[in-house]
Amino acid sequence: MLKVIKPGLETSVQDWPGRYGFWNQGFPPSGPMDSWSLRLANVLVGNEPGDAGLECQFMGPTLEFERDGVIAVTGGDMQPKLDGEPVPLWESLAVKAGQTLALSFAKTGARGYIAVAGGIQTTPWLGSRSTFHKAGVGGMEGRALQVGQSVPVGDGQGRAGRRVKEAARTPISTTKRWEIEVVPGPNDDWIDEAGKERFLSVDWKLSGKSDRTGFRLEGPDWTFSEKAYDKLPEHGSEPSNILDQGYPCGAINLAGQTPIILVNDGPSMGGFINPYTVPQAAFWKLGQSKPGEVYNFKAVSVDQAQALAHAMREVCSEASIE
Amino acid sequence: MIYEEPRYLPGGDRYMLIEFGNEMNLELNFKAQGLADAIAEQKIKGVIETAPCFASMLIHYEPEEISFGDLQGEMHTLIGSLGPSDTIELDSRLFLFPTVYLDPWTKECVADYIEKITPKQTDPEFVAELNGLEDVQQLVRVHSGTEYWVASLGFWPGLPFLMPLDPRSMITAPKYNPPRTWTPKGTVGMGGAATAIYPEHLPGGYQIFARTPVPIWDTEKRFPAFERSICLFQPADRIRFIPCSVEEFEAIERKVEEGTYEYNIIEYQRFSVANYKAWIGTLDASKRF
Repeated sequence: MLKVIKPGLETSVQDWPGRYGFWNQGFPPSGPMDSWSLRLANVLVGNEPGDAGLECQFMGPTLEFERDGVIAVTGGDMQPKLDGEPVPLWESLAVKAGQTLALSFAKTGARGYIAVAGGIQTTPWLGSRSTFHKAGVGGMEGRALQVGQSVPVGDGQGRAGRRVKEAARTPISTTKRWEIEVVPGPNDDWIDEAGKERFLSVDWKLSGKSDRTGFRLEGPDWTFSEKAYDKLPEHGSEPSNILDQGYPCGAINLAGQTPIILVNDGPSMGGFINPYTVPQAAFWKLGQSKPGEVYNFKAVSVDQAQALAHAMREVCSEASIE
Repeated sequence: MIYEEPRYLPGGDRYMLIEFGNEMNLELNFKAQGLADAIAEQKIKGVIETAPCFASMLIHYEPEEISFGDLQGEMHTLIGSLGPSDTIELDSRLFLFPTVYLDPWTKECVADYIEKITPKQTDPEFVAELNGLEDVQQLVRVHSGTEYWVASLGFWPGLPFLMPLDPRSMITAPKYNPPRTWTPKGTVGMGGAATAIYPEHLPGGYQIFARTPVPIWDTEKRFPAFERSICLFQPADRIRFIPCSVEEFEAIERKVEEGTYEYNIIEYQRFSVANYKAWIGTLDASKRF
């Protein structure tokens, strides 16, 4: 068990890939924003890569261990300390009952991940332990950790002193600027050539009005192709309006003139166009960026995006441990 | 229009959107639902889940198990094997929903949007004018004068995307630009030609002008209607909105809180596509209620 001394800003239980199989009823996958970091934290402590761990956002929690165990902290640098002593990131370490792990604000990145040998063992909800905050389901009573809660942990035989190779760690941007891959589609033909060129060439600022459902972007207005105007009334008359359709997770959803990247807790369906989609291999960058930082989008093909996901799967494995 | 060949569009590295056409037409919804059922039956390798909607279906697949090209091939074959919709006859539950039209809560929400986000004409007046209706009272008659078909669930757990079955009640509206940051729980609204019920206090983009006190999803399953699922509806259900007063709304709200509300569900009817098509063939869609 982990006792919550301070909950942090929004610390939640997440597993990977999350709650699959219910998109047709409107349930999002949830799961970690940066699955690269959670998966490797799990591998470090001897868990399956997809086991449940803690996602800490902007300001991490303080947790007391109620029994001996092995843990790992990865992702953004929340300056973790064990009983006041700095703890290295991307390394497994032994903890004793009564010791306290304290995370602070994210010095680099935006989200830190904590894995515990044996995994977090909250009751799964619709097949996953991931927290879906907005609906109040999954995780610990459906929401972020609260002071005084005890988070259940399974039995695990982790080994201390295992490290993730330098090259296999998330290369978190230090320039407040991120290159994010996008695959054109499904509705890229609603945007005119000038609009496509603009989208891929200008700076897009991540708005503070962003959360695990959507990342809002600030930038120039969009321009549209003939298709966005010459359409039946059931689409809705605004150019970004389309007859309601299923949304890919990662879609860049154009609501009026505001692009919103639909992320892990996002909607499954709606009536706005999705000209581009962020592939899964780029999600970790969304998870590690802070409001005010800048995205530059780079178009890749479906094949290229799938190759990136495959490469990431190889990285998130025992092969990356030294 | 119904496309001769469906369009297979990529959504990043793990989604495919199949568009069957670009109009609101029960035929297309049957294709989407029929394909989703066929995929579930055949257990197509690499398909994680599907999300059928009015005229399209989204597939979530695992690229480690199936390529985009192979998936497209599989889908082409499956779509070819779907029978004509004319022979379809299926059980269809009818839900009656007490609903306050032109209610104070959505009025307050729209006023808040106008004050804080951007000016716009108030929603019922806007929709009535846009569709050439006499006034907002006629909007209420037209909107509540039809059964709605549950074409799909999405956006939020349990939220139904609804299509009016009576063409005389087909009205259209643009979606908000920018979207609202909040909408009262139970709000009934429309965008494009679709109507929806908001299961919770949520952001949204539809024009809003009514509210129902009856919950449509329930994680605690407090009512027998949720025995099978925490989402009340399933595709092929039908809904009718029954106009009621604010006082009735509040009385029902209290019953819901106490757990004594009795859901009004009619479960003996079957929906025949052939009968439906024959019926709408006799109607003049320009004749409003």
